[in-house]
Amino acid sequence: MTDREAASAAIPTIQASGVSKWFGDVVAVNDVSLQAYPGITGLLGPNGAGKTTLLHLLSGLAGPSQGVVSVLGEPPRNNPNLYQRVGIMSEHEAVYGFQTGRQFVELAARLHQLTPLSPPVDRAIEAVGMAEAQNRVLDDYSRGMKQRMRLAASLVHDPEVLLLDEPLNGTDPRQRIEFQGLLQQLAKEGRTILISTHILEEVETLTDSILLMINGRLAAAGDFRTIRAKLDDRPYTVRIRCADPRSMASALVRLEEVESVSFDPDGSLVVLNRNASSFQLSVPRLAQKHGIRLFGVEPLDDSLESVYSYLVEA
Amino acid sequence: MGTLLQLSLRQLAGRRRLLLLIISLAALPVVVAAILTGLVSDGGSYRSSFINGLLDGMIVAGVLPIVTMTLATAAFGHELEDHTLGYLVLNPIPRWWIVLAKFLASVLVAGPLLIASGVATILLGLDLDWQTAATVAASLLVGVVTYSAIFTWAGLMTTRALSFALVYVFLWEGVTTTFLGGVRYLSVRGYTLALLHGFDGEVFDTLGSRAIELPAALVGAGVVTFLFFWLTVRRLRRMDVA
Repeated sequence: MTDREAASAAIPTIQASGVSKWFGDVVAVNDVSLQAYPGITGLLGPNGAGKTTLLHLLSGLAGPSQGVVSVLGEPPRNNPNLYQRVGIMSEHEAVYGFQTGRQFVELAARLHQLTPLSPPVDRAIEAVGMAEAQNRVLDDYSRGMKQRMRLAASLVHDPEVLLLDEPLNGTDPRQRIEFQGLLQQLAKEGRTILISTHILEEVETLTDSILLMINGRLAAAGDFRTIRAKLDDRPYTVRIRCADPRSMASALVRLEEVESVSFDPDGSLVVLNRNASSFQLSVPRLAQKHGIRLFGVEPLDDSLESVYSYLVEA
Repeated sequence: MGTLLQLSLRQLAGRRRLLLLIISLAALPVVVAAILTGLVSDGGSYRSSFINGLLDGMIVAGVLPIVTMTLATAAFGHELEDHTLGYLVLNPIPRWWIVLAKFLASVLVAGPLLIASGVATILLGLDLDWQTAATVAASLLVGVVTYSAIFTWAGLMTTRALSFALVYVFLWEGVTTTFLGGVRYLSVRGYTLALLHGFDGEVFDTLGSRAIELPAALVGAGVVTFLFFWLTVRRLRRMDVA
């Protein structure tokens, strides 16, 4: 049994069932169901996809409008005792600027009522490589240094679950590698780490296991490469508006990935194809080759388009 | 709890402009009292005017609510503004600890400042004994505690807490309680005046016509403080922390 299979067989550490969150008329998270297991899971999606709201729901900072959330088998909302086992790093980079880095981590340790205080604080600061700068005031830190101290504060109580919202923001490439190494080490120790990012490559080096959010919905979940392969195989419909639809249609039907081409009453072409990535490249080439003026290429399956372009173009 | 209180005090103390503003406001009645002492001779009508104008009009109806409002709305207001509230609520501590720390921080900063201001004003302007000064101190402290509870709640309810508090102070505590006698039972200004008059009816006899009964004032202040403290804890439990 592989590690992944073993993890799948285990009880999910983080679970959401039919979770939605809306603010007035705006639906930020729409009917999301997910599970996360020990190891690293990447929560991917473009800005505004609902990742932060979802993390707020999982961390108990916000309550779901609908659905159920559980972390380590308990509801996170209004359950302060759960934070003894969960570490959270929110997307806001604000800190108490008047404190030193060490005081900031000590504050977290005190609020977790850790005694004695020094060993866990030292360990957390060492883990993020900030021992030398720990006595400097946070206001004097770079963005990356603040992020590392914030991670130290969320690690100080040795949590089983880590929810990290864009933790690599502001870090330089070297810090990023160190950060990734630390997260991998923490995951090896059996922790569940859910890390959100809008940059695919950040997660690609950490894990294959992703949750992909688009427009508030969970668009895909599972192994990154499998998702990508499946998307390549799915039929994908596009509307093409051009100056000479007939010539364009006859050129398109010769493409291997095109399944069918039909004419809409408004003169546009509706094309069903099986490989979006090569199709996206082929259309402008064909138009150029045949001297056909393209007015527009419009995907008819918005969510799929978004998922696809996100995964392909990232 | 001590950690939270220390942090809250440090946050309030770190706002220099805010501190400068409240110290200036608290110093205002002292300055006016000093000037009046030099200009006006002592007498029965002077004492009455001093108590009505400076103690009630300026300190109890103006400086006391404004200084407390500025500090208490900032207690949670700055956490919300700076997006640091998450650092407090994402810990295994009861929410009421957080509220108590914020509330106490406001009382601990506003209390001594306003008591010093009130006592200095009275001692300068009326040349009274320390017993009267203690009456003023105790009454103002009750006012600070009650206002702190209300404005700490306001700071968590809205990002425009200061505007809300200003409207409340001037419309409710200022205008309404002046013209509608019954409202004094629901007014922090009414409680403070009742305590002054109730503790020392001789010196503050001029407040008699506006003061409610002492027990009613004590119960009222206690109920309002507890109610708004509870509402703040409830709000902190229910709100979405961004």
